[in-house]
Amino acid sequence: MMKRLWLPLLLLLLMAADLFLGSVSLNAADVWAALWGNESSDIVYKIVWNFRFPKMVTALLAGMSLSVCGVQMQTLFRNPLADPYILGISSGAGLGVAFFVMGSSLFSIGRHSIPWLFDLGTAAFAWMGALAVMLLVLAASGRLKSNMSLLILGIMTGSAASALIGLIQYFSEAPALKSYMLWTMGSFGNVTGNRLVIMTFLCLAGLLISVYNIKDLNVLLMGEQYAQSLGLSFSKVRNRIFVATTLLAGSVTAFCGPIGFIGIAVPHISRMIFHNANHRVLIPAAALTGACMMILADIISQLPGTQSVLPVNTVAALMGIPVIIYVIFKNRADDL
Amino acid sequence: MNTVLDILDVSVGYSRHSPLFEHINAQLVSGTVTGLLGPNGIGKSSLLRTIAGLLPPLKGSIKSGMGGEKGHSCAFVPSQPLRAAHYSVRDTVSTGRYRYTNWLGIEDREGKQIVENALERTGIKHLADRNSASLSDGEFHRVAIARALVQDTSLILLDEPTAFLDIANKRAIGLLLRRLALEENKGILFSTHDLSLAMEHCDFFWIMTPEQELHQGTPSLMEEKGIINRLYY
Repeated sequence: MMKRLWLPLLLLLLMAADLFLGSVSLNAADVWAALWGNESSDIVYKIVWNFRFPKMVTALLAGMSLSVCGVQMQTLFRNPLADPYILGISSGAGLGVAFFVMGSSLFSIGRHSIPWLFDLGTAAFAWMGALAVMLLVLAASGRLKSNMSLLILGIMTGSAASALIGLIQYFSEAPALKSYMLWTMGSFGNVTGNRLVIMTFLCLAGLLISVYNIKDLNVLLMGEQYAQSLGLSFSKVRNRIFVATTLLAGSVTAFCGPIGFIGIAVPHISRMIFHNANHRVLIPAAALTGACMMILADIISQLPGTQSVLPVNTVAALMGIPVIIYVIFKNRADDL
Repeated sequence: MNTVLDILDVSVGYSRHSPLFEHINAQLVSGTVTGLLGPNGIGKSSLLRTIAGLLPPLKGSIKSGMGGEKGHSCAFVPSQPLRAAHYSVRDTVSTGRYRYTNWLGIEDREGKQIVENALERTGIKHLADRNSASLSDGEFHRVAIARALVQDTSLILLDEPTAFLDIANKRAIGLLLRRLALEENKGILFSTHDLSLAMEHCDFFWIMTPEQELHQGTPSLMEEKGIINRLYY
């Protein structure tokens, strides 16, 4: 029983730690009181409910979404180094943000002048960019039967978007460049209120579709040809996986910025922990493991007790990269 | 014995302009093992893939199975079945029940029993909880055959099931196919380059020749007609 429960228990522990720890040191009793609506100071209440709680929920959703996405991409492409961004979603979102940041500076909508509009616009344009890339890939998937061709198209689309971003950056002013750079570093702190509601709704929709994909993913793991011989409609399943990916990775990137490495590393960690690649086990395991890792990255990025905050993307990368290197050195190219 | 495969004037290949093999007419009955022979590149795998529905026929029509449950008429075992790490043998075999499981891929009690029976009949029950990636090629070919068996079809197609196997494993697979045809009343069609294995275990041969002729008959008839000699010697 404990074997099954330790990961959810660890997640609960980390969720609590994320609420109790932060760059502002708060008394644990005060945080506890604020959480249960008991008498606490206004500042503590605001920090807990307006900042730490939404940030913790955002990290939880981001970790779950990126990890579940990574599992699906690795299975679909039978590639242990595939990640949620392999089809260019991140670059598409980046291009959307680059357009918005550049455009908003022309209309004087800056991070400091109208912050809510700037944040909302950034998320909306990032989402549109991710969606545009995915629609392009979906349209091409009807013509390209081979998964490998589609993978190359995705990588090329991502590279083209990155090249355009470079071009936009070249002609941008320093404040616009800084805003763009801040977005690329990732943050869970800006997702509050309606934005959190929208992100929660989109991520839950993506997670539900992913659960529905479990049966097909198990068959796809044995190869496209075998899956088709069983009567699986490959193009339908592939499109459904792409829709889930857009909802999950697109939403996380739009609201939190591009957060790399978790999507590649967590599926491998889950397989190593549970020794089971059956998606009925792997999808929930990756969701829980991803949530744990992302919340841990968030706690570390806050550097508890100090006034500094590290970019969450950097922390996530430093946590994910050793796992990827481990996978490469263990020569587990076929470790799906 | 029932007809489980009826091929009417079928052409196979990847392009209408240059079909690999044309005008194939053949029938296969349940309870028999048929060996598909011919030189490399003649279209054996394409024919099997066409029967399995993985490739559309360039011309003609194919009726397979006996109107199996859920419209699934034949099971296909590719020449090099892929295996997944951290995936148990039992779970691997269960994927063959794709059409019969619920939306999460979970078996009912009857389905679980069918999987256990297939593990038993293919002689891999003792491996059921092992990681598929840790099996030898011979053992995994048995897993692939068990996976075809649980699909509950009247016809099983195998593309070079004994390629890359040692002599003992080749014989074991041949005997297994023979036993499944007789005991489970399956129609079995497999492609092979191993003439001695085919001679030992097949009831019928389909021989595809470079002259675009499909010769059919018992192994002894094919030998008498000199077709085997023309092809192999």
